[in-house]
Amino acid sequence: MKLITKTIFYYLLISMPLLLIAAFFSYHLIRIEVRDGTDETLLKEKSNAENLIKLNPKNDPVYLSADSISKITVVNQHKTGSLFSDSLIYDKVEKQDLNYRILRSYYRSNNQTYLITIAKPTFEEDELTEGLLSAFALIIVFLVLGFFVVNWVLSKTIWKPFYKTLEELNSYDIRKHENHSFKSATTVEFNQLSAALNKMTEKIHSDYLQQKEFTENASHEMQTPLAVVKATVSLMMQSPNLKEEEMDQLQTIENSLRKLSLLNKTLILLTKIENNQFQNNEIINLKETVTKIINNYSDLVGAKKIQLEINFESDPKIEMNPMLADILITNLFQNAIRHNKMGGIVSISIKDKTMSISNSGEPLTIDEKDLYIRFKKNDASKDSLGLGLSIVKSITDNYGYTISNNHHDSLHTFKIDFI
Amino acid sequence: MKILLIEDEPELHKLIKQYLVQEGYLMESASDFITGLEKAKNYDYDCILVDITLPKGNGLDIVRQLKESRSKTGIIIISAKDSSDDKITALDLGADDYLAKPFNLAELNSRIKALIRRRNFEGNKSIIVNQITIIPDERIVKVKNEQVVLTAKEYDLLLFFISNKNRVVSKYSIAEHLWGNDSDQMDSHDFIYVHLRNLRKKLARKGSVDYIQTIYGIGYKFKANE
Repeated sequence: MKLITKTIFYYLLISMPLLLIAAFFSYHLIRIEVRDGTDETLLKEKSNAENLIKLNPKNDPVYLSADSISKITVVNQHKTGSLFSDSLIYDKVEKQDLNYRILRSYYRSNNQTYLITIAKPTFEEDELTEGLLSAFALIIVFLVLGFFVVNWVLSKTIWKPFYKTLEELNSYDIRKHENHSFKSATTVEFNQLSAALNKMTEKIHSDYLQQKEFTENASHEMQTPLAVVKATVSLMMQSPNLKEEEMDQLQTIENSLRKLSLLNKTLILLTKIENNQFQNNEIINLKETVTKIINNYSDLVGAKKIQLEINFESDPKIEMNPMLADILITNLFQNAIRHNKMGGIVSISIKDKTMSISNSGEPLTIDEKDLYIRFKKNDASKDSLGLGLSIVKSITDNYGYTISNNHHDSLHTFKIDFI
Repeated sequence: MKILLIEDEPELHKLIKQYLVQEGYLMESASDFITGLEKAKNYDYDCILVDITLPKGNGLDIVRQLKESRSKTGIIIISAKDSSDDKITALDLGADDYLAKPFNLAELNSRIKALIRRRNFEGNKSIIVNQITIIPDERIVKVKNEQVVLTAKEYDLLLFFISNKNRVVSKYSIAEHLWGNDSDQMDSHDFIYVHLRNLRKKLARKGSVDYIQTIYGIGYKFKANE
């Protein structure tokens, strides 16, 4: 629910009991007022009747109204005072009991006591209730209508900068920070929000740049000492008097060194892809690139006795940096070979602008969505860095291609849409 | 053969020099831009190895200035930056090769040999090592004047061995040479063995001595008589 809708909804919610209380008081106030009014009329008519008695004393009853309820009669008691009362009297015209306000008043004149009875039909209580209810129902209808109008107007005007900010926040991309800023507004709170967001994204961006730079510099700085160790090992190997044990140790050093430099290079590569440093796009013939890579790794395919199925239904041209295209396909292809079994299958197909690479192999032991996470490996015993698919993902992300994977019929498939 | 090495990292400088001296080259040294440029301009070298990031200047400027003065010296860039942009710039400027750190000394050696071979175009077009003759331009290998038909990988492997003859070359440097530096194919060492076996078999069939020794744990050595 929108904030404004919520606010107004609560206003409405609270106005319901308030309206009910107001209706209750109105009802009673109206009743009192109406009764007071009626009573005044009755008193006035009573004094009229008293004047009438003074001017024209009679012993017979005098009827003051057509329905013979209001009348002056002579009573043989010595009484004074007046009394108001309510009573239901059957009305022959309306054929129902009507509520009457009756004033009975004793009046002495010429040693006679007269009883003046004056009756006025007063309001029906249910009619009053009905009237009040309809009035309040109308008020509620207006409130609800007003609520929608206010809601609409406010979100079009006052809340507009807020929605604008929200939109900007949604489209924020840290890599394109430079051409992004949160606009100021005339409303103080929204202005503060924009300023706070600007400050925050500024800070995040500078941290991001620093971190990026750090990764890049650290990796580059590592290359020279690595080269020194590598060269030292190469020279040590030339020594004619090495014992077997020392040869094993040299081999261990060289293997770890190789992994370390590969790791370092891969991290530099990933940083570069993420920094968008591969700008020179060219038109790539996908079929040609795939064929070239298959040929380059034909000995690996042969050694694992892997059956290669190639199915090119189309010949798409894609716009990419050629080096990244090579890295992308090489990584997928190597992945398909490495995680394959002896005598397994690798199947590569291109259809429209979609390329799929499938390989036979065991189902994944890690979660599918973790596949692309750096250093996550499906099979820890496999001698792999666990960065190949991270590279693939970061290249596809960089170009906005979608990559998906699935496993069925003991075939694991990666699919890339070059769209 | 004279080589100028322009590299500011003293340790690495020392090691490269040591390896190449063992290889029989005459080594000249420079460890900053100014000395490097001066030596490169004033003396003739068969090959210059130059680092990109140098004190007091950029190694690429040495390449630029040498090429402007129409020097015919072969230039190999060695750089800590494995950047395709740098590589393209370097090759565009006229450098002959580009090697990213950390590299194998055996790889550097084979690149230098290949470069010098290409430079000495007019001279001897074939490499003769005992019974084996290689004609690099045509990628032809002969044993006792009989051609041996090799696959591309077998040929590359043989040339790599011969470039580093009488040297221990590790399995890793062979793998890097055959499948590229960035290859994350850890199991490729098994395939070296396959290629090596086939190469030995093909050479032996033509009556060649088995020059390739297995060095326990580390790799191989192509043993030739000087």
